[in-house]
Amino acid sequence: MSAEFSMTVNGRTVTVDVAADETLLHVLRDELLLTGAKEGCDEGECGACTVLVDGKPVDSCIYPAPAAAGRTVSTIEGLVGSDGSLTPIQRAFVDGFAVQCGFCTPGFVMTLTALIEENSKPTERDIREALSGNLCRCTGYSTIIDAVLTATEERS
Amino acid sequence: MSGSVGKSVPRLDAEPKVRGEAVYGVDFELTGTLYAALVLSPVPSGRIIGIDTSAAAAQAGVRAVVTAEDAPDLRSGLALDDEPLFASDTVHYEGEPIAAVVADSLKAARRAVSDVIVNIEESPPVASLEAALTEGAPLVHENWETFAPVPGLPEWPRQGNVVGEMTADPGGVDEAFAGADHIVEDVFVADRQYQAYLEPKSATAIYEEDRYTIHVSHQYPWNVRSRTARALGVNPSRIRVIGHHMGGGFGARLDVGLEPYAALLARLVRAPVKLVFDRSEDLLTCNSRENAIIRIRSGVMNDGRIVAREFLCDMDCGAYATDTVFLISIPIFLAGSVYEVPSTRVVARAVYTNTTPTGAFRGVSGTYLNFALERHTDNLANTIAMDRREFRIRNLMDDGHRMLNGQILTDAGIMRTAFAEVEAVAPWADMGKGPNRGVGMAATLWLTNPAPGQVTLKLDVDGTLGVITGASEIGTGAVAMGVRQIAADELGIDPRDVIVTMPDTDVQGHDGGAQGSRTTHIVGRAVREAGTGLREQVVRAGARLLGELPDDVEIGDGHVSVKGEWNRRVTLAEVATQALYDVGPLVASGSYATPTPKYDPDTAVGLLFPTFPTPTYHVHIAEVEVDPDTGLVTVLRYVVVQEVGKAITPEGVIGQIQGGVAQGIGYALYEGLQIGEDGRYRQRTLEAYRVPIALDVPRVEAVLLEHPDEEGPHGAKGAAEPPIVPVAAAIGNAIADATGGAINRIPITPEDVLDALAENRED
Amino acid sequence: MEFRTVGSIEEALACLADVGDEAQVVAGGTDVMIQHMRREINPSLFLYIGNLCEMEGLTKNGSHAIGALTTHRHLATDPLVVAAFPALAEAASTVGSWQTQEVGTLGGNLCNASPAADTVAPLLIADAQVELRRASGVRRLPLDEFLLGRRSTARLPDELLTAVTARPPGERCGETYLKLGRRSAMEVAIAGLAVRLTFDAVGNVESAKVAACAVAPRAYRAVEAESVLEGSRLEEGTVAEAGRALVDSATPIDDARASASYRRHVLPGLLVRAVATCRERAVEQR
Repeated sequence: MSAEFSMTVNGRTVTVDVAADETLLHVLRDELLLTGAKEGCDEGECGACTVLVDGKPVDSCIYPAPAAAGRTVSTIEGLVGSDGSLTPIQRAFVDGFAVQCGFCTPGFVMTLTALIEENSKPTERDIREALSGNLCRCTGYSTIIDAVLTATEERS
Repeated sequence: MSGSVGKSVPRLDAEPKVRGEAVYGVDFELTGTLYAALVLSPVPSGRIIGIDTSAAAAQAGVRAVVTAEDAPDLRSGLALDDEPLFASDTVHYEGEPIAAVVADSLKAARRAVSDVIVNIEESPPVASLEAALTEGAPLVHENWETFAPVPGLPEWPRQGNVVGEMTADPGGVDEAFAGADHIVEDVFVADRQYQAYLEPKSATAIYEEDRYTIHVSHQYPWNVRSRTARALGVNPSRIRVIGHHMGGGFGARLDVGLEPYAALLARLVRAPVKLVFDRSEDLLTCNSRENAIIRIRSGVMNDGRIVAREFLCDMDCGAYATDTVFLISIPIFLAGSVYEVPSTRVVARAVYTNTTPTGAFRGVSGTYLNFALERHTDNLANTIAMDRREFRIRNLMDDGHRMLNGQILTDAGIMRTAFAEVEAVAPWADMGKGPNRGVGMAATLWLTNPAPGQVTLKLDVDGTLGVITGASEIGTGAVAMGVRQIAADELGIDPRDVIVTMPDTDVQGHDGGAQGSRTTHIVGRAVREAGTGLREQVVRAGARLLGELPDDVEIGDGHVSVKGEWNRRVTLAEVATQALYDVGPLVASGSYATPTPKYDPDTAVGLLFPTFPTPTYHVHIAEVEVDPDTGLVTVLRYVVVQEVGKAITPEGVIGQIQGGVAQGIGYALYEGLQIGEDGRYRQRTLEAYRVPIALDVPRVEAVLLEHPDEEGPHGAKGAAEPPIVPVAAAIGNAIADATGGAINRIPITPEDVLDALAENRED
Repeated sequence: MEFRTVGSIEEALACLADVGDEAQVVAGGTDVMIQHMRREINPSLFLYIGNLCEMEGLTKNGSHAIGALTTHRHLATDPLVVAAFPALAEAASTVGSWQTQEVGTLGGNLCNASPAADTVAPLLIADAQVELRRASGVRRLPLDEFLLGRRSTARLPDELLTAVTARPPGERCGETYLKLGRRSAMEVAIAGLAVRLTFDAVGNVESAKVAACAVAPRAYRAVEAESVLEGSRLEEGTVAEAGRALVDSATPIDDARASASYRRHVLPGLLVRAVATCRERAVEQR
């Protein structure tokens, strides 16, 4: 039996009909063709699939899709402004050499977007703790942390 | 010319990546694609009694179930032709492909995989190096003698489970030992390391007009082409490989992976086929860094001189030879270098076991070789009660150092400068002070991969510069920053006006792949070669437009202008547009491969990788604190001094150092793919296989030592691979210093730390 | 299979009464989805209870009750929880990542019954009881009796774990949860230890509660260690003796995360740190 439900994704209401045990990640990628969220591990270890559900970061690879019924989902594709401009976090990633292979980047950006929503002036420790569930294999994290510090300094 | 080389210019591919728009291999889809999944051997060793595909074939949505019977009856490999596409009679490792299912959806394919019934009579696996090397051990391949080297590669010493042996014995080593004041012997063991790139492996193939087109995110599309061709028994020109954005690789995407399967299946079902691994399949089958055992013995004099050395290393290549028969050459470059050792014997072996084939991982074999050498160096110093840093300086090589292969390092003295730079930033006497703290140092040299590259530059009618190259952007920025900036400077234009292609083996000349830090050095040099030709054409065309002689005009700031008359100039767009109908498009090509350094082929037997081209020099220092109750280690400070030739993009190079050190910290402290007695991996997910997180990695301090290389573009050498090499050694030495006990294994577990502390208490 | 979202506890109970045998209750899904993908479970129905807000948060109504749908993030950050159950808050803050803490729930952590479940040990030292409801009634069970073993609980197929009641530390009391993992976070505990010490007016340990996880098939109260500590003034020798008793009570296994001997080895050191923290907190509290 499949599950039909509606949710708001990046400001648009969408209705999908998917397998009852489908994950939110697969609905986003395969049904809605929003491939910015990545499948890195499929078990909530790497954070490459991080999206925001009702503003909170979740691993969409282990989030039951029908549980998102009636909720608001934000993905990396929905972050940019209507004129295509980058958010301060995205801009700081680009300017601060915080992107290498980039496969983890959308997940990092989503987690950090939630972080600065909650805490506009995070310390380095706050940032490192918030990123516990996001693996980056390329950068060694320093440029990412500096990018957040830069973005939050410029914001305030 | 204003010039972008030497400046940190943000990479253009960062924007699509932060927007989530970049299309990676796993994101790529062709219309009408079918999906495939592999049936992997559930056991490490056994005889296949039968394969029943009928239940799987009957499942809804299943289009084909494919086994060895449907594949060419061929074995192929990187060095030795020993590996079939599908196991048919016997399985040699857990995870070996036995069959494939093609279905309408990935879910259907994966579901049907469990309906393929494989009946295997299990046999006890050869699960470890020790087991494989025991006298009378069962042979992993009873038919090993029938395997032939790949065409063009001469035979090398191999016998039974030892699939390769490299021996370098200059003679006189035993006599040199006899004259030593002390002889110190150590044994080191290293577990496997999984590359753990974030994008699991995938491949999409389509078969049209008797050719195979394969879409990949791969470090080395030209190798995919040749390896797929050999696996399928067709000419390389029948294969076209197109590269897409790549979610890391670190060596794991150098050899062929899922591509030949996707190609074969696409032909069999006459439709595009996409094959994607999930994380556990990826981990189980990945060509991880090999586990190894190193035995090292040195003779040392009371005055601190090292006089003799024996270096024995066994590397586990798993069930097939892969590239490990090349890697057994690496010890010859490291065992007698950095520190002068007049008399050194090296024997290294690649050994078959019933485990997943191992392969390239950043800093191939160097990570554990350096760990063994530098841990041993500490032990030598401690034996004669000499300060560890002083002992190193005492034995340091100089300009003109002769490596064990006879290759001369004319500029090896730069290592002294590197040690001095480390001292300036992190004074030895100030580091590692306080209870449970320690300091460790490690130095190495590393090569820049010499494989060829090719570039075509074209000046477009709008003044942008096209760079047509088969180079792959693995994430380092070597293409996105290095090649782009070097190309921009050829015409004095903004790097944002440079457009670089993605790899397509039908379009570009051969490229040696994103490996061994070669891209900036080799492809950058090819850009410069092409740039010389293009600039000549631009000057001629510009001069004609300006009504001047070529000698009287110059290129700069996006213009061709008359020398000395800055206001008489035409834009590059105007030049390119006019030239189009005067002389045709302005296009020039360049190629480069590093000439093989001089060496002495008589120094070793079985030396398949004979030289260490374009070496760079590295010194690392680490300060750690150990928790005496739990054995947990905190890396307090980490400093790298790296000789880079010339940094084309300094921030990019620093990013490589920080990332490489993070992987090295993972290798040293958290990772470790262990093989159980049953021949199976004990860590099978990213939960059990621990990659360092942001809280585990300190801010790595990096000092770039510029020392331009005559052959490199603007003097650049390789930079991205080596930062991982000395990390386990530096941290191991620091932990040994903090605990006062032996640290002889990678990864260094909390238990090892507690044991080292206990050992010290007993002393 | 079917995904059924319920709008009330009653609806959930009716469903469980009907098809409880085949249903898997889902809240955050962080354990269930992984087990389902690995085919460790094979339910015909996902009963989704994640919208039942009445099962969220801490309520002080005579006793302290924590709704089963309270997320780990809520436990870790809600000032009420942090004040009432500091060890539980600490434990919740170590469960997985921010992403999993946002959706993973207390009830899920308990029902999953992992030997390494972080929230169990701090609840054991708080004399926690679970509230199990079914269409025909409700029963309360000490957490200690609810947990039967590795991945096994006393919950019946038609029951829903709705809340956990627990006793906060009282006067002159301090508690803490220490978790040992290789990485600085994102770890399944190699060993976890929750300790609650109540002191008398002159500083003797009046009552000691010690619970350990990841060193036995399920988290448990180390009563022998507790009795060594009780009545003492936490002298070095006494704590060491309690540490030995703690080690004796543990039955750890070798697994890919750590060896049994390492797990035993670290327990006394963790206990030393934990009792020191308890003492500090008890003093601060005064």
